[in-house]
Amino acid sequence: MTWLEFPYFAFSAIFLWFTGVLLALVRLRGGAVILRDVLLISGTLLPLAFVLLLWDSLERPPFRTLAETRVWYTVFITVIGLVIYYRWRLVWMLIYTMVMGAVFLIINYVNPDTFDKTLMPALQSPWFIPHVIVYIIGYAFLAASSLIGIKGLYQLYRGKSPDHTLWLADNVVYIGFAFLTFGLLFGALWAKEAWGHYWSWDPKETWAFITWLVYLLYIHFRINKKSAIRTALWVLALAFAVLLICWFGINYLPSARSSVHVYST
Amino acid sequence: MWKYPWGYREGFIITLSVMVAGFAMQLVKGSGVHLPGWPVNGIILVVFILYLILVHRYVKHPLIRWLSSSGAAIASISVFTLLVLLMGFIPQKDPQANDFLKMTGLDHITRSWAYLLTSLFLLIVLGFTIMRRTLPFSIKNTAFFLNHAGLWIVIVAASLGSADLWRLSMSVNEGQVSFTAYDAQNNGYRLPFAIKLMDFKIDEYPPRLGLMNNADGSLKIKKGDKLFEVVEGSEAQLDGWKMVVVHYYENARKNLNRYEPTSMEGAAPAALVLAVERSQRDTVLGWISSGSHKVSPSFLPLNHEVSLAMISPAPRKYSSSIRIYESMNEYEDFTVEVNDPVKYRGWKIYQAGYNEKKGKWSRLSVFELVRDPWLPVVYTGIFMILIGSLYLVWMGRSAKPTAKQ
Repeated sequence: MTWLEFPYFAFSAIFLWFTGVLLALVRLRGGAVILRDVLLISGTLLPLAFVLLLWDSLERPPFRTLAETRVWYTVFITVIGLVIYYRWRLVWMLIYTMVMGAVFLIINYVNPDTFDKTLMPALQSPWFIPHVIVYIIGYAFLAASSLIGIKGLYQLYRGKSPDHTLWLADNVVYIGFAFLTFGLLFGALWAKEAWGHYWSWDPKETWAFITWLVYLLYIHFRINKKSAIRTALWVLALAFAVLLICWFGINYLPSARSSVHVYST
Repeated sequence: MWKYPWGYREGFIITLSVMVAGFAMQLVKGSGVHLPGWPVNGIILVVFILYLILVHRYVKHPLIRWLSSSGAAIASISVFTLLVLLMGFIPQKDPQANDFLKMTGLDHITRSWAYLLTSLFLLIVLGFTIMRRTLPFSIKNTAFFLNHAGLWIVIVAASLGSADLWRLSMSVNEGQVSFTAYDAQNNGYRLPFAIKLMDFKIDEYPPRLGLMNNADGSLKIKKGDKLFEVVEGSEAQLDGWKMVVVHYYENARKNLNRYEPTSMEGAAPAALVLAVERSQRDTVLGWISSGSHKVSPSFLPLNHEVSLAMISPAPRKYSSSIRIYESMNEYEDFTVEVNDPVKYRGWKIYQAGYNEKKGKWSRLSVFELVRDPWLPVVYTGIFMILIGSLYLVWMGRSAKPTAKQ
């Protein structure tokens, strides 16, 4: 498997999600319910299958380049969407996460990766997979939380109470924040083994820390100022913007020219 | 404002004043912070903890109560975040920073007075918050304690311990012994032991095929391309050409117009490649080589636009066999590898680098030697936060929503 075959997987997945979501929007009975579930779930299985086959032919874990992490991200965010859909019957979360997954697949289609088997010695560590996986899971939960936040802002705009929406956002943020913490600390423990120190203020570390601090602010703000809903929702939206800077935006910042975290080719 | 109990506004005014005071101090002093080492930093830590406990216990002023309030917490986290954000945008330790950045310490924020005072204020607020919530201790505050005290310990130990942190660099050639290592300012230090480099080894990935623009010698790599490895018998499709690697020598030298295997130092990988254009109108057979620090590369011109080139192999793994001497006839052997440092008498020895120009022919190995006596304290804090975060995943946010839709 190489990136040349990626478009087939990506567009089939998007097609499956699209038809699955359409079926989720209407009232169904019997076999149609099963068809909907098969469409939605196989849509998510396709990028998963791609990245696993890619792993096999790269002969190294596919967590090195941005494009590789984006495929994992698509898998996790749509799984979270499916879980929230089946657990709480929230169709809008399903739509949001599938759109988000599709966007990330399209980014990869427009900006494909070079098939490159090399893995630099610094990345050859038992920490490599857990460090990246917990981050991607954290990012996926936090993306879901910001989508919930946007829904809350819309409810406020329509004059409805977003209390229940915010409660859901808080729960998702707690889980996402915990994974972010794992990612940060696993990274610190790994850095000690690889680079000699657990914290070097590398630009990527700095931005990961900023992301962590902004979500920390959100959590404390929600505990202490329950009434300031609008501000809380805006903090949530801003926090995700910071997260995206940390993930991609950093490659364009002058302060990050010297980062040792840039592993793309 | 300024009537007890204080809230957010007072919090922001106080914390921002603390930060501004830090910048003012930086301007007056004209230099950054240098924290004291052992034993002064140990005394500071004990005094700090005693201060928090005693003030919490005996001072009932509303100001102290406010220090453990949400207003103080949010204000101090926000202002601290602001400073870290500046760090995220302004290149740090940049020798080309302008005078304004140098004067205010913004080019090296973690060494600035503003950072020191702001994080000290954050630690005071965090410290009093921990005291208030966990004294007397109740089991339902376990997660709160683990997360907050863990963070307090990590920040305090990492900051106070920084003066006791040693990071030295040592370069040794194969067969040589060294007991001198250098810090970032190039001051030499004599170590209590000596290191002899027995052997330095690099394992490389196979070299790869690439197309080069004849005009400027730049590599032509389209996004989404596959990088083909050069292995004897392998085939590749590149830009309308089919390539077959007829022969491949990992170490070769040029002899007239062909390459032959050798074990001479500085030998480069070389391959005989047959290139066939898709419409079969063109067939080219010839040698390519990535070259090395001693010999120049060879390219195979395919047409007037492009040539076939061999991209130098990337390192897969490198390691050093070392012998550490405690005295003339007392020694122990180790292997140091990236991601696998060696522990010796309170030091950790890391494989940091080699002579990259010489690549696999490097006979030089560069080590980093690190001594961090505060590491166990920092790790205690890290593990407390890890356990506290597990609890966060498990419990989530327990409060129920007030109105269901």
